[in-house]
Parts: sequence; C-alpha cells; structure tokens
Amino acid sequence: MKDTTPIAKTASRRPKPAARGGRPRRRKLTFDRVTFFLAFLGVPLAIFVIFVLIPFGEAIFWGMTDWRGFSPDYNFVGFDNFTKMFQDDVFLKALRNVALLAVFVPLVTLTLALGVAVAITLGGPSKGPVRGIRGASFYRIVSFFPYVVPAIIVGLIWAQMYDPNAGLLNGVLTGLGLDRFDTFAWLGEKATAMPSVMFVIVWGLVGFYAVLFIAAIKGVPAELYEAARIDGAGRLRTTVSITLPAIRDSVQTAYIYLGIAALDAFVYVQAMVPNGGPDNSTLTISQRLFNVAFAKQQFGYATAMGVVLAVVTLVFAALVFLVNRLTGGGEGESKRKAPGARARRAAAKGGAG
Amino acid sequence: MTIRAGSLDRRTLLRGAIATAAVGSFAVACSSPSGKDGDGDSGPKGEKSATNPFGVAANSTVEAAIFDGGYGTDYVDYTNQVLGGQVKGLKVKVEPVVDIAPQLQPRFVGGNPPDLIDNSGEDQIGFLGILDQLEELDDLFEANTYEGKKIADIVYPGVKAPGTFRDKFVALNYVMTVYGVWYSKSLFEENGWTPPKTWDEALDLGQQAKKKGKYLFVHGKEAATYYRTLLIDSAIKEGGDEVRLALENLEKGCWSHPAVQGVIKVMETMVKQKMFVPGGSGTQFQKAQAIWSNDQKALLYPSGGWIENEMKKATKADFQMTGFPSMTLTDKPTLPYESLRAAAGEPFIVPRQGKNPAGGKEVLRAMLSEKAAANFSRTKLAPTIVKGTVPADGYGSTALVTQTKMLEAAGTNIFNYMFVETYGLNTDQLVPFNSFLAGDIDGKGLTSALQKISDKVREDDSVDKVKVS
Repeated sequence: MKDTTPIAKTASRRPKPAARGGRPRRRKLTFDRVTFFLAFLGVPLAIFVIFVLIPFGEAIFWGMTDWRGFSPDYNFVGFDNFTKMFQDDVFLKALRNVALLAVFVPLVTLTLALGVAVAITLGGPSKGPVRGIRGASFYRIVSFFPYVVPAIIVGLIWAQMYDPNAGLLNGVLTGLGLDRFDTFAWLGEKATAMPSVMFVIVWGLVGFYAVLFIAAIKGVPAELYEAARIDGAGRLRTTVSITLPAIRDSVQTAYIYLGIAALDAFVYVQAMVPNGGPDNSTLTISQRLFNVAFAKQQFGYATAMGVVLAVVTLVFAALVFLVNRLTGGGEGESKRKAPGARARRAAAKGGAG
Repeated sequence: MTIRAGSLDRRTLLRGAIATAAVGSFAVACSSPSGKDGDGDSGPKGEKSATNPFGVAANSTVEAAIFDGGYGTDYVDYTNQVLGGQVKGLKVKVEPVVDIAPQLQPRFVGGNPPDLIDNSGEDQIGFLGILDQLEELDDLFEANTYEGKKIADIVYPGVKAPGTFRDKFVALNYVMTVYGVWYSKSLFEENGWTPPKTWDEALDLGQQAKKKGKYLFVHGKEAATYYRTLLIDSAIKEGGDEVRLALENLEKGCWSHPAVQGVIKVMETMVKQKMFVPGGSGTQFQKAQAIWSNDQKALLYPSGGWIENEMKKATKADFQMTGFPSMTLTDKPTLPYESLRAAAGEPFIVPRQGKNPAGGKEVLRAMLSEKAAANFSRTKLAPTIVKGTVPADGYGSTALVTQTKMLEAAGTNIFNYMFVETYGLNTDQLVPFNSFLAGDIDGKGLTSALQKISDKVREDDSVDKVKVS
C-alpha cells in the first residue's frame, strides 16, 4: 500500500498553470516545433475535418432534402424527413430495438468478459503469488477465437445453428429430451428472436473484451491484491471493490465501443434476420436505413435516419460518461484520489470483516 | 505520470470510437450528388445500316453490368459469339454485379453509368428514380433480329408492359418468368394425388398429406411473400382486373376485396390445421425449399420458374418438378383456371449517359438472336421472351417443358402486377406474412397489416405514384 501512495500523490500534485504564475509562457516557434505540430496535430485534424466533420455537415444537409439517390436533382424540404420519421411506426420500432441492444449487449458482454478476465488473471489458488486459474493462457486464447471469425460469418453460422428443422441447437435440445424444441423457430418467434440475436453478438465479442480487461487488470499493482487478500477479502469482494474501480476507465471505454457496435449491429442482424425478424422485433435503424435508401430510393430520408442514429450514438456515449462521472469515476479531480482511496477503504473493510 | 498518459490514450481512443460510429452512420452521405452531368453523345458513332440499326461504332466496346444471380452472367458474355457478325469488332465486356443499386448508384450520380445493366435482384434500382436517365427502347422492337425478322413479332405478348413506366418503354425484360405452384410429379403419381385446381381441393390434399405425415406447404423467412404472390394471383383470377387495379393503385381497402379475403380465409384454415411445415419463419428460404424438393416433407411450393435452377443441387433424383397455375377460389372465376401471372423478368436497361448507348442496344439485339436465346434456355433451363426456342424435350427439364406448356395454355390470359417492386414493399410485407404463416396473427391481422403498408405509400406525398389502368 505504502509504495503506491507516493505515485498517486505525485500524479495529483502536477504543477498547475496557476502555480507557475498565471498564463504559461509562450515558447518560440522553432522549425522543430512547427513541424511537430504540423505532423502530429495538423494531419490528424485535417483528416478529422475532411472525413468526419464535413460528411457530418453534408449528411445533415442531405437529410433535409428529398434526394432520390440516382440523379443530381433534389429539393430542400426542411425538417419534413425528421417529422415523418417520428410518425413512422416501423422506424420507432427500430429505435426501440437498438435501444434494447445498446442496454443489454454491453451489460452482458462486459459482465462475462470481466468474469473471464478475473478468472484468468486472479482466479488462481489463494496461496502464493496472485495468479490466474490453471491453464489460464489456454482459456485466454480460446475465449478470443470467436472474435477472430468475421462478424458476417459468425452471423451466418449461427443462422444455421438456429435453423428450426435442421439446426444444431434444436438437434441438441431434442436429443436431451426437450421435445418442445422440435422445429422451434428461434429467429422466427417474437419472444426469442431478439435474445437469440443478442446472444450471438455477445458470443462474438466477449473474447475481445476479456483480453482488453486482462491487459487492464495486469496494470493494477499486485500489492493491492496481496494486501486485500491478507485482509481477508474473497475473490468476489476483490473483483467488486478493487478490480472494478481500478479499471473503470477501461470499462467505460469498452461500454461505449460496445454500445456503438450494438446500436449498429447491421452485420449480425442482416446475416440472421435480414427482414427485420418476426413482427420487426429485430429490425435495426441501419437495416431500415438501407431499405429506405436502396429499395425505396428515398436517400434524403435515409440520410436523415443516419443523422438520428448518429445523435442516438452521441447521446449514448454522453450517458455512459455521465453515469461514470456520477458514480465517482471520470477524468476529474476526484478520479485521481478515488481508486487508491476506494481500494484502501475496501481493504480496511475486508480486514475488519 | 503513467496514469495520466493512460487516460489520454483512452480519450483519444474514445474520440476515435465515436468518430468511427459517426462516419459509419454517415456513410450513405459519401455518395452525395456532386457529379457533373455526363454527356452521352460524345461516344464514337458508326453508320446506321440494316445490320447496324443503332449506328454502333465498329471495334467499340460495350460495358455491361450484369446481375450475378440465379442465371449467372455468362449468357451475356455469350453474345460475343454473335455480335461481331453484324457490327465489325464490337465486343461486350461483362462485369458481374450482385448488389446492383449500392454498387452502381455512385456511377449514376457521377454521370458515367455502364452502357448496359441487368437491373435485377434484391437490390435492383427502382425504375422511377432513374426513368429520365434511360434510353427508350422502342426502336429496338422496331429493328430486325439477326435472322431478319422484326423483333416485336418474335417475342411473347405483353413483354413490353413490365418494362414500361409512365408510358416510356425503358427496360427489356429478357427472361420469361412463369409464376405457379410446383410439385413432384413422381411423388404425386406414386400416391395417386392430383394437383389441386381450387383452394378447396388444396385443402383436401392437405388432409391427405397429413395422413402420410407430410405437410401441404413450406415457407422460408426471406421468401414468405411467395404466398403473397400466390394469394394475389388467385384473387386476380377470381375477381379479375378489378382486384389487380385496386392493388396496383394502392386503393383504400384493396386487401379487403372479397376475392382476396376468400383466399386469405382458406390460407388461415391451412395454417390453423398445421399444413405448413412448422418453424418456416425462422428458416433460411433455400433450406425451407429443400424441405420440399429434397426431403419431400411438403407437397407444394408456390414460386416462379427459376425454382428448378435454384434448387438444382438440392432436388431429389427423379423429382420431376412440374408446375400448375395458381388455384382458383371458386369453380367460376372471372379469369379461366389456365390464366396465370407471367412476366418477363431480368430487366435490361440502357442508361442515356453511358459512353456507348447504341452498343448497349446492339447487345440486346444480339441477345434476342435465335442462337443466343436458345443458348440461354439450354444452359439456364428457363424460357426467354423469344418464342419457339425451347424444343419439345425441354433439354431434359420437366420444369422448362411445363413452363412452355403453361404459357401456351394461357394464351392471352396472362397478367402481371408491379406495385410491390415499384414501391419497394417486399421487405415490409415479409413481416406480416411471416407472422401469418407462423400462426401468430390471423387473416384479419394480415389484412390490416398489408393494408397499412399500402396506405402508408398512398398517403406519402413524397413518393411518386404510378397510375395503373
């Protein structure tokens, strides 16, 4: 414990601008500095502007036109597309579906990934140094396998697995004596279609996030765990009170990544339920957008949907930031104190209990 | 310090992540209309003559983007064998394309489309959106074939209709597609069954099938709307043009017409009596079709003439795939039992802004030559719009023979409808049809869902309507 405290203190005592006496001094623009800024700021900024900001602006503009997609003609229609969208029950259903995906997919994936990561890094015998379970490296590699398979193939394979009459899943279930799953249409029943799709997305991604968390956990000083163990904290207690607070920034990043993937989910749903699933219960905004653009040739309207999807994505990211900040994490002053303090408190409690 | 650097990294990562998502969402904007208008007249020109009616430049090349689907693309490539005979050195360069609309959209916007396009498949380009960018093909039908006969005289009746939009004939549909219900002749003979002529007979057949542990129908999730085709075909035969026009013009209450409702009622009974293979709404459609063609667990399958070619590798030996016209609702339908939905499919279009539009037309003329048309029927086992190119043995294909026979029996009683393709409704309609065939909604629910889809388009002022009469 003692070893880590000075590091934290150094970090929190970085000289603030005020401490140096007002505004930072301007440095001379040497050739070296100018080229450095050009290469490391100018180029990324230019790429960002050209490939992100300008398309952003353009998309918002095209979202307000009735462009049909195959000729240069269009009319400006203002916010008509957006009002039409929010009166379209199919689009609203798609919006609801992606909201479900954005809530459940990251939650389940990250819980599982954290479990795997903890087992592989910390789940080992409680005597001797902190280490993972026996055969940890094997499990780490195996858990990564699904991620190596391209998403489209994952989707197609699982579409076959779910086949009601010839699928492996129903074959296994009926083989176990569960006869009600004979010809059960996993992707064709309203109650199971969405969970089935979510399962496949989770299956495909959990390995990657497990590896991400393993790396993050390895960055946590082992002394923390040893101290907690000496104080009598069990594995669950260590996970919740030490690991999770220590890697919360990784969790936040992963949450946002996954949320973005789930909000899109195009590849998976297109491979498994290309037409929106039973009663449109798995339809995503991206599928609706594709259909409106290419089958109905309403590119202006489709672009407006893209704008809404982008806004939803940004709102999602903002929500994750907000939740993280409210629960005591984030980039602020509190963060630099928090991990150490929380861990210390936990260790103290563990010792007491 | 390390902590600091770490968090910086993560922030950069996050920004990257958000940016990636945003770029993805906006990808559709990447092909926004900024291209200049192309100039179709700049291409090389040749002298017009009897063997070169469109004035194609000798030794020029035609760029053809051909839908690479059930029929492949080699049949267009084959025209290279006849092209040179009429216009010296003319060649066609075939580019197989699967997703027509997404792939060719930037080229249309940029004003440099290919010279010839087979605008087919799931992602075909809606015709209304590109209508004024297409060459009209009336002069093609006025021209002579390579054998010296007028083209308009050698094709089946009504082939112009599906390629005509707002009185402009812009698409030559090359393949004659016959819609009907398909069965295994050998299986039926073995069991003493006969193909049903009315829906009541079909219901009886369904009972008999159940006794043998079989089902009457099967459906797949992407193709549940084949039963929409069957439904509409039967309803049109029962109620005549009245039904067809109501549906085509998206009229209020068009799905509540008694003829439509009568068929839905029988279908509902069949679903209730479990005459559909269960789980169809969760089965990939070709797998579902194999349940019919290979496992023979289902007796009938409504589809178009492409079905034999599509299921070639998943059809039981000696299946003898045979078709019959869709069942009628009563004994006295408005149109006779033999009438059927037949439409020329595989629409070929010639964009006006291409480099060699005359060459595009010339390739179409070559495809209508006896040699090329016969080659298509022989290799694809489907009839082209050119009459009399299928021999009596149908190159050993029972399906090809029945299609030709069905067409002959129907005579002029051939009808077609286009509203599903025109307004891009198939994806929307799949949803209620899957629910209906799975037994989740009843006939009433299906009717209101279908009506809602039609109503939505009718009431949307931003959608151009085609008045059909």
